[in-house]
Amino acid sequence: MKRRLVFTLVLVFLVTGILAGCGNKDEKTITFWTPLTGDDGAYMDQIVKDYNATEPEIKVKHVITSDMYTKLSTVLNSGKGVPDLAIIHADRVPGYVKQGALEEMTTLLGAQPELKAENYLPQAWSTGTIDGTQYTVPLDIHSNTMYYNKDLLKKYNAESFLDDNVVTIDEMLSLQGKLDEGDYVVNDALLGWVILAQIQNLGGDIQEDGKPAVNTPVMKEAFESVKKIADAGLMTPFGEDGYLMFQSQNVLFSTDGTWSSTAHAGVEGLNFGVTNIYSTTPDKYTNRSSSHLFTMMKNEKRTDEKEAGVGSFLEFIRQNSMEWAKAGQIVASKQVNESPEYQNYMQSFFTSNEKEIESLYIYTYEYYPYIAEAVDTYCADIVRGNVDIDETLQTMQKFVDDKVAEASSAN
Amino acid sequence: MKKKLNLAPVFFVGPHVVLFIVFILIPTIYGIYASFTKWNLMNDPVWVGLDNYRTILFDSESTFHVQFTNGLQNTLFFVVLSVPLLIVIPLMVAVALEHKKVKMKDFIQAIIYIPGLISISAAALIWSLIFNKQLGITGNLLGSDTVWAAHQPYAWIIIIVITVWGGAGGNMIIYRASISGVAQDLYEAAEMDGAGAFRKFFSITLPSIRFPLIFTFVMTTAGAFNVFGQPLMMTDGGPQQSTHVLMMYIRQLAFGNGESIAGMASAMAVLLGLVILIISALQYYVMNRNAS
Repeated sequence: MKRRLVFTLVLVFLVTGILAGCGNKDEKTITFWTPLTGDDGAYMDQIVKDYNATEPEIKVKHVITSDMYTKLSTVLNSGKGVPDLAIIHADRVPGYVKQGALEEMTTLLGAQPELKAENYLPQAWSTGTIDGTQYTVPLDIHSNTMYYNKDLLKKYNAESFLDDNVVTIDEMLSLQGKLDEGDYVVNDALLGWVILAQIQNLGGDIQEDGKPAVNTPVMKEAFESVKKIADAGLMTPFGEDGYLMFQSQNVLFSTDGTWSSTAHAGVEGLNFGVTNIYSTTPDKYTNRSSSHLFTMMKNEKRTDEKEAGVGSFLEFIRQNSMEWAKAGQIVASKQVNESPEYQNYMQSFFTSNEKEIESLYIYTYEYYPYIAEAVDTYCADIVRGNVDIDETLQTMQKFVDDKVAEASSAN
Repeated sequence: MKKKLNLAPVFFVGPHVVLFIVFILIPTIYGIYASFTKWNLMNDPVWVGLDNYRTILFDSESTFHVQFTNGLQNTLFFVVLSVPLLIVIPLMVAVALEHKKVKMKDFIQAIIYIPGLISISAAALIWSLIFNKQLGITGNLLGSDTVWAAHQPYAWIIIIVITVWGGAGGNMIIYRASISGVAQDLYEAAEMDGAGAFRKFFSITLPSIRFPLIFTFVMTTAGAFNVFGQPLMMTDGGPQQSTHVLMMYIRQLAFGNGESIAGMASAMAVLLGLVILIISALQYYVMNRNAS
């Protein structure tokens, strides 16, 4: 009997101790969720490690969370396990703010005076500003970009295309009939982003009076412009992996993301550079972009001390995010992207002058995700001429309208 | 005399029951409830009765109706194509492996079973490269000009190939275990009566393994209705939405890039569940009656 009593007491003592330890540890740790499941997760891990090595009062615990947005919905709904800090994408901000899911950054920014608009790329900062209130602090801009194969450009005497940093569709079409069999001018990687860039190049938009505008003349023109390349047989075949075809040196231009530069650099013998996404006109070019943003989801349990800790961490990132450049991203902090070391990275091209910075376009329209989904779903078939463009634009408009109506009715 | 309570079965069955309740029963019940609501995962669900079902089933103008019917048609097409192959091929292999003259049976069995252990993402990556015209075996070694994922029927062919490659091993193991349990004297008696291989297969083997056959048929069909990874990874639903299966639409609605439309997604999932239930019950009824 005695032995059982002793055993029970020891067990209770241990469990209490473990739970107390957990609670204490939790108060001294900032839980930081990111959706960085690729190589970039390792770079963020290193940044967090570097920050923790500075012996801050409250350390940061980086949790890479696959399917993060689903998990965020769950924890916000239950109010349990909400992270202290998270990285979200730019197009999520309007929706989250509308649902009251984001904490205002006012107090935090007040305590960290260098966390201000002037110290960041303007698009990245303003993405988190809704009705004059700041909800996010930017980490980067990750942009659609166009890699080019230097050897192939030389082979086909197309180096002049890069003279003004704007490769036009007409320039691409000039190579019709001049390529060896199996070679192509451009691939179809991130084709949806390319279409959305053309809309800006053509002076259009994806909304009219706050309503989604998909079935529009400018959307049709954007599709038709890109379709010309496919019709001329200059785009990699539908269904083939254009990304791999660029790496295997069969494609002159690859419309990819800034983050792919590290993977391309790992391909032996691939002599490549970077420029802007091709355009319909030499006068205007747009690189469709998004941004990783630090934000605090609504959480009543987050203490003032933790919020101050988050502020310190974000200020550290502002000063020390060169590591993030290694992941191929355009670092949002001006202190970093204007430093000499940053110029060694390929993506510094996009912050090399004001015009390039302006070319980084982030859609902030509330219903952008549905429009992007519609464009992504149908763009390949439209560009390849598999479907009637007018009919499909009508379908896309209905697709977006129905989803917006359904989502609005759930709020 | 007081009978001693035997707690052993509770310890064996208990964990499974708890896991079943937590991860299957409660989510299923909540999913059915959610199907009667407007819900975006963030706010509390708002009860709307049969609205979601009405839209999906009867509002032919609605995107959700179009997605459901297109997704269900594509899913049914996949089921009709894949299930017979996932039954017949493993059965043939299992029968062949039971033949006395076949050597290294366990090794062959392992080779056929191993693909089932590979994650669908990795498998899709391997097969995408194999079917890649520029870089893969089909283009470079076999000289094929076909861009497999871009045209039908090739898009379905690559999805079926990866499905059978990955799924045949499981059924084969069940059939082998069942066939090895068939009494040998039945075969010996049949041989004495002059029965050939086909007669023995149809008159002894098949009737003897009818319950494993019914089980695998029902389970394989139910599994095929849940197809998701293969078309997502191999064709991304194309060309022209022809391989966009229902599970892809459901996931996109519930967890896509925009605000979640979880109520509608749940209603689609419940309808898919009902289709599976009805077809499974019919299969069981028909096969069991014929077997009897």
